Amino acid sequence: MTASRSLGQFYPVASLLHGLDARAKILATAVLAVGLFLVDSVAGFLLGAAMVVLLVAASRVPPGIFLGFLRPVAFIVALTLLFQILFSPEGETLFAWGFLEVHEGGLMRGLFLALRILLLVSTAGLLTATTAPVALADGIEDLLSPLKKLRFPAHELAMMTTIALRFIPTLHEETQKIARAQAARGADFSEGGPIRRARALLPVLIPLTVGAFRRADELAEAMESRGYRGGEGRMRYRESRFRARDALALAAAVLVVAGGILV
Amino acid sequence: MRIELEDVRHIYAPGTPFEVEALRGVSLAVEPDEALGIVGGTGSGKSTLAQHLNLLLAPTSGRVLVDGADARTLKGVELRRRVGLVFQFPEAALFAPTVEEDVAFAPRRLGLDEEETRERVSETLELLGASHLVGRAPHALSGGEKRRVAIAGVLAMAPEVLVLDEPTAGLDPATREDLLGVVRALRDGGTSVVMVSHDLDEVAEVVDRVCVLEKGELLAVGAPETVFYAHLVTAPSTVRTASILRGPYPEVGRPVRFKDTLAALKGLLEGRG
Repeated sequence: MTASRSLGQFYPVASLLHGLDARAKILATAVLAVGLFLVDSVAGFLLGAAMVVLLVAASRVPPGIFLGFLRPVAFIVALTLLFQILFSPEGETLFAWGFLEVHEGGLMRGLFLALRILLLVSTAGLLTATTAPVALADGIEDLLSPLKKLRFPAHELAMMTTIALRFIPTLHEETQKIARAQAARGADFSEGGPIRRARALLPVLIPLTVGAFRRADELAEAMESRGYRGGEGRMRYRESRFRARDALALAAAVLVVAGGILV
Repeated sequence: MRIELEDVRHIYAPGTPFEVEALRGVSLAVEPDEALGIVGGTGSGKSTLAQHLNLLLAPTSGRVLVDGADARTLKGVELRRRVGLVFQFPEAALFAPTVEEDVAFAPRRLGLDEEETRERVSETLELLGASHLVGRAPHALSGGEKRRVAIAGVLAMAPEVLVLDEPTAGLDPATREDLLGVVRALRDGGTSVVMVSHDLDEVAEVVDRVCVLEKGELLAVGAPETVFYAHLVTAPSTVRTASILRGPYPEVGRPVRFKDTLAALKGLLEGRG
């Protein structure tokens, strides 16, 4: 019953972005990600940030959800920023305090790097928030399918991804259920130091693991009993179509990146 | 102890597209020393209600009172000891290498010493007819055996109120009968029992009062004969049979339990013979 809001979860509303083909979105995300590493100017980052804000607005996913995506990386971003500011002695000295010196070059580089990580995570978040897990996995399979000729297990990889994504909420729910059952028996997951807390999780992790194996077994049996035998000659219930607007979106992504690098 | 729900509402995942209002303002009391049945269809809010009785779920609005005082003033662990909650399919939470250690988990958490813990473990396992399993590994047991052990794991806290969520789901008839016997024995021994179930026949056999939930609202609460005869859709087969016979033969009365219904039918047959 408890819906979870964890990193990169699909947010089902109707929007322009939700309607795009998964392949277009995956490619566009890849283009934007690469582009973010090539951008190296204030104007370029402004353009990138403006685009992400625009896309978030167009996705009709509440901005709070994206802040949720950013929370896990906030620590890394802060640390990166700090290191860059303190330990890159480039450009003019802005101020000095004892052995600590802040240079203009370091500050800029730190801000660029932090912004780069934040924009990267937001862009990836846009992809997973607006694309259903199954469509996402199908898209990955389609994009990887040329590699099938080289015996690359594209279908298997996609199926594994689909199943893994599909079971995140299930396992999350199961975890909560078991944690509550153990709480009803007096378990307390919040007291003591880190070691005691880790030990307190054992009564949750053991049944969870046992349950996951049982579930995997059951799923394999259910799939086989319905005739699943891998990707060979398998059709899809939902055919994805690459339309003009998907091509347009992809072209727009390439243009933005080109613009961001050139300015 | 007396637990009272005051206009309790519960909304899952509020403010998201997954929002579900599971309880829509339920007021209900669990009286001391009674067996209370909670029935209703799937999704009627039974399990959500059960988890409010020891505040594992907190109401979105409304209050839970324990002996007249707001339950939030009690310490969480204290409340959970006094109100034992057995979840649906409780065997999913077995984790220790042996049955003995699994049942001992709760008493140890409560700070009982080793001797008291051992005593509690052997007492509860005996009550549930599972003494012979004490040294076995929980995962090697049968479904019915696991269920007995899992329920013992909660009963070992010696709760004043025991809440059972679908305790007999998926069990064989013999284990089921045994468990219903345990429920009766607990109730007669002064432990209040709240039994959540959609098996109306078994609820009818053990409860003093019954409440019917529908879509998160309290449809009816009271003595089984009153509630069941007024809501035949959620009545056990005994009540439905008797209510049909009551038309032509009013002397059947309003039996609920199997034994009483059988006696009423016998009386009817003998009266005609």
